[in-house]
Amino acid sequence: MKELFGKLIMNYPYFAAAILFMIGALTVLTRSDLLKKLIGINIMESAIFLIFVAGGNIRGGVAPLLSKANSGAVYVNPLPSALMLTGIVVSVSVTAFALALIVRLHRAYGTIDLQRIAELRSEVAMDDSNHHT
Amino acid sequence: MRIRSFLLLLLALPVIYGVLIAVAELPPYGMPDNPVHNQVSERYISDALDDTGVLNMVTAIVLDYRAYDTMFETIVLFTATLAVVITLKTRKGEGER
Repeated sequence: MKELFGKLIMNYPYFAAAILFMIGALTVLTRSDLLKKLIGINIMESAIFLIFVAGGNIRGGVAPLLSKANSGAVYVNPLPSALMLTGIVVSVSVTAFALALIVRLHRAYGTIDLQRIAELRSEVAMDDSNHHT
Repeated sequence: MRIRSFLLLLLALPVIYGVLIAVAELPPYGMPDNPVHNQVSERYISDALDDTGVLNMVTAIVLDYRAYDTMFETIVLFTATLAVVITLKTRKGEGER
């Protein structure tokens, strides 16, 4: 048990990323407000960015910029940072589209609460079935 | 309700324990001999200046080694903008509710 905690403290950025991911997943699963669900998705994305960039870090390393002042120093891994730039673009695109869908839903139902939308839809379905019989 | 949340906590505990074990068994943070720092990143760090003439290695990777990736990234952004515009567009008579 003590060994486990020592390793957890040594890997604290990964630990923080795991906690962030669990917070985001819980938000997505338990909140019925669509904006809060979207915020949860964004928290999960932040956790993924954090774990990637932390994986490329070296203790005592310098940022991967070539200059006279950095000669002989250990550079941190530039590849995860470059890959996460791609990931950030995808995350922004997904967020923008989800926000547009939420605006559209608000126009159609007057609310962005998923529970409320389901109630409205079931009322409409009940009215329809009464009409037919 | 209390019994239900207790059962859910009981279900969540093994998951939390598994995540903690997984985090603990990852390679130690910040060590130079981790498997992430393999020959690929060494090649980028040692040859980026000769290959591309760029001082910033992240820029060299994004805009030179992986230039096609970045180029099609702009298509992703364009498609997202297009989707947002199409989703939010309304016909003239439709109007707001």
